[in-house]
Amino acid sequence: MPPGTSQTAGLAEPGKLSDPERWVEEHGDLLFKYALVRLRDAARAEDLVQETFLAALKGGKSFAGKSAEKTWLIGIMKNKIADHFRKASRETSFTDLAFYSDQENDQFVADGNSQGHWLTESAPSQWSFEPGANIDSEAFWKAFRECAGKLPRNINAAFCLREIDEIETKEVCRILNISENNLWVMLHRARMALRKCLEINWFEKNA
Amino acid sequence: MPSQDIKPPRPPVKALARVASLLSPSCRQASRLQSEGMDRPLTFFEKFGLRIHLFLCKWCRRYGEQLKFLRNAAHQCEDHQPAQNLSPEARERIKQRLHSEKE
Repeated sequence: MPPGTSQTAGLAEPGKLSDPERWVEEHGDLLFKYALVRLRDAARAEDLVQETFLAALKGGKSFAGKSAEKTWLIGIMKNKIADHFRKASRETSFTDLAFYSDQENDQFVADGNSQGHWLTESAPSQWSFEPGANIDSEAFWKAFRECAGKLPRNINAAFCLREIDEIETKEVCRILNISENNLWVMLHRARMALRKCLEINWFEKNA
Repeated sequence: MPSQDIKPPRPPVKALARVASLLSPSCRQASRLQSEGMDRPLTFFEKFGLRIHLFLCKWCRRYGEQLKFLRNAAHQCEDHQPAQNLSPEARERIKQRLHSEKE
């Protein structure tokens, strides 16, 4: 048990509002990391931490234990991130449009007898999952984050909700306010781009 | 009637290829079906066509395995995020903002 946990839980007076400054000390880093994993943008993550605490302050609830408080704050943060993603999904930037058309056209034969087949250079190569490939190493996760970081904002939103938070498809559509068909296409493109990026930047280098 | 309007008859091979491509999806379609299969139940015919395709195509079999690997990795990536804390400046800024809000 981390030092101080039992005392805090025991001494906190129910009904007394927590000191917001103590919140920042105790939960700030955790909330920041939570937002950073999903948004991949430190400045935006800081903003959302602040918004979360402000909303918590307005909510005015208090909790006897540190872990209950943490769960409550993470819950608020989740809603803030959903709002942020919803905004992102409404704006489709130029890079997103290019991303949409490139992902499939660059990887498959466009016409002729072999239309729809993998192009020779983009056909999936054999990935090595041997211990030597170090897929548990820090460097692998760095490559993974970098590849995921290249996804356009609205695709990243869909990918995070579905694959990091493991939310059901229908719920993701509700959060982002998009159709299921739209979501399936976005996820398909996200996986395709991530696969290709990891193949080039990790598996072919570490083969 | 101008002669170029009359199309030559399709060779039977082409027609056969067409039937085969109706039964089994192309790699392009198969890749999409494999992805969608992770988000919704595929219909009987989609599953059927995909099975035929995967039986014949080692690239798409690889693709499917790699998609599973990616999903698994995404589930774990939060645990592998390096510890990164709020900067002291951000910490101070947020505290001050909360302080002014409280008053």
